[in-house]
Amino acid sequence: MVRPGDQDWAGIMVRLALASMRSRLIPVGLVVVALSASMALLLSFDRIQQATKSGFNQSLSGVDLVLGPRGSGLELVLYTVFHLGKPTNNITTATVSDIASDPMVEWSVPVALGDSHRGFRVISTTKAYFDRIKFAGDKPLVFAHGNAFSDLNEVVLGSDVAESLGYTLGTTIFVTHGSEMLGELHDDFSFNVAGILAPTGTPTDRAVLVSLEGYELIHLGWKNGSKAISLKGLDIDAIPRDRLYPKTVTAVYLGLKSKLGIFKFARKINDYSEEAISAVIPGVALAQLWSMIGTVDSAFKLLNWLIIGISIIGMVTMMMTGLDGRTREMTILRALGASPPKLACLVLVETLMISVIAIFSAVILVRVLTLGAADLLGEWAGIRIQLTWLAGNELVTLMIIVLAGLVASLIPAGMVYRRSLHKGFAD
Amino acid sequence: MILETNALSYDYGSGEKIQFPDLKVAAGEKIALVGASGSGKSTFLNLLSGVLPIQAGSIRLLGQFYNDLSPIQLDKIRADHIGIIFQSLNLIPYLTGFENAVLGLGFSKIRRAKIDDVTFETASLGHQLGLMSDVLKKRPNKLSIGQQQRVAVIRALLGSPELILADEPTSALDPSATKEFMSELNSSVEASAQAIIVVSHNPEIIPWFDRVIRIGRE
Repeated sequence: MVRPGDQDWAGIMVRLALASMRSRLIPVGLVVVALSASMALLLSFDRIQQATKSGFNQSLSGVDLVLGPRGSGLELVLYTVFHLGKPTNNITTATVSDIASDPMVEWSVPVALGDSHRGFRVISTTKAYFDRIKFAGDKPLVFAHGNAFSDLNEVVLGSDVAESLGYTLGTTIFVTHGSEMLGELHDDFSFNVAGILAPTGTPTDRAVLVSLEGYELIHLGWKNGSKAISLKGLDIDAIPRDRLYPKTVTAVYLGLKSKLGIFKFARKINDYSEEAISAVIPGVALAQLWSMIGTVDSAFKLLNWLIIGISIIGMVTMMMTGLDGRTREMTILRALGASPPKLACLVLVETLMISVIAIFSAVILVRVLTLGAADLLGEWAGIRIQLTWLAGNELVTLMIIVLAGLVASLIPAGMVYRRSLHKGFAD
Repeated sequence: MILETNALSYDYGSGEKIQFPDLKVAAGEKIALVGASGSGKSTFLNLLSGVLPIQAGSIRLLGQFYNDLSPIQLDKIRADHIGIIFQSLNLIPYLTGFENAVLGLGFSKIRRAKIDDVTFETASLGHQLGLMSDVLKKRPNKLSIGQQQRVAVIRALLGSPELILADEPTSALDPSATKEFMSELNSSVEASAQAIIVVSHNPEIIPWFDRVIRIGRE
């Protein structure tokens, strides 16, 4: 324990800086708020941006190409993988079979989209989906409960769907036509939950997966978006299974035998003459997305740094305007033996303390902001982001800000130095 | 002698030059500096305290010539061997009386080493100067001018620096408070055999000093 009077000059400077800041609580508090808010904004933006990129990039692993109707490749990836937007055209399953039989293709997983269940998108696909689709590099989809669908009326739920709706194995659900919550219900055919996937942190967590045949079945008797004939009363078992294989699907995920042939095969698909289709490399489409938002991203970052610069100027201005009122304090300290460099240090210590307090506030603020953003991102794109307190590169950014603050504080510190050189008894 | 000045003068740069009288101060000696306003009394104190650089002449404190010392060394000399009392506004507003009183010890290990128990020593000096113990817990804005001056005296005396320099320490006090203050300051200085040099306009306090030195411009 430090006894009264036992502190050395450095300890005294820290104590004086603290006491001085306490006596100017409102201006110091406002500077801390401005500085921490601008730091938090910069870090949160950077963190959410990185997490979003990583989340998007990790959502679909193992898929070499996404095959879909000709159009925007980015749009195709966004709605097939991330369930963002709406599918416009479909491709025929005849074309899908033709492409799948190409010697370069190792596997294919068709998906048909369009319907939903209580806000969650329904993906109709084949059982191969659970074996072929990977996430976060090379992690396979794992069943937390049950297993893949094996019958027309079976459904597999993503972890978020099961958790938020409280569904368990055996729960009966109905699918809504279209992606709107208030769409018409396919109330003539129910699905039973056969499996629940373990969390992946990808859009799969928010997916309701049914078989292509089951999906086709509930659309039997639908014309122009409305139900014309009910399935009730029909002997479903009497319907031949091949009759239920859809004639069109929204897209197909493709795996090639050799990664080296991806670009060549994509070009081949784009030149396909039987139907207007295109193949998109998911990573390339996402890179296109990041490139599109890159300019806005840079402008926002620049704006952020400007705000930080303005906050630092605010801090220095507060220091400088406060110096006139602190002349007496400096004179007293000079009389006690404090040298001008030590008094200049006092200003730097205050800056350092304001910066450190701002950093702590910013870290807490970032945590709160990213928590909120994580929820929004989860709701929007089904992407779960990793939450950390402070990463190494963020610490470097904060240190740069502190250093910039200290450098800027050399101005008031220099003023203190010059003013206190010959401060003593007044004539 | 603890302090000697020789042929000390100061040129303000505007054609005004002050020649200060040579001064020899022994331990425990009490000296009053008098002179008209603007006569250079404060400049003299600033030179003695090492805040102003010597332009001509010499100062020797405890055997060390100021002329041979760097500004940083002069700051150290001031921290270790000189206690300073200003005319007014002696205290840092955001510190308590006690924190103000012990502040100087942080800049001098020599003065700190002379005290066993800082809290006790501060309280006992406060007692000698007629300060109630709760006064030291208060911030300067809660203290009277007289109380603030007494806290400044405690700060100047703590750690027994050999020389006390005071600039008009009673100018803000009424006559009865001045008498009381001088009596208390006198007994405190005498008790520790510290030399004191006080600048004052007040003829009433002259009797408290051993010598009176007049300062005037050329």
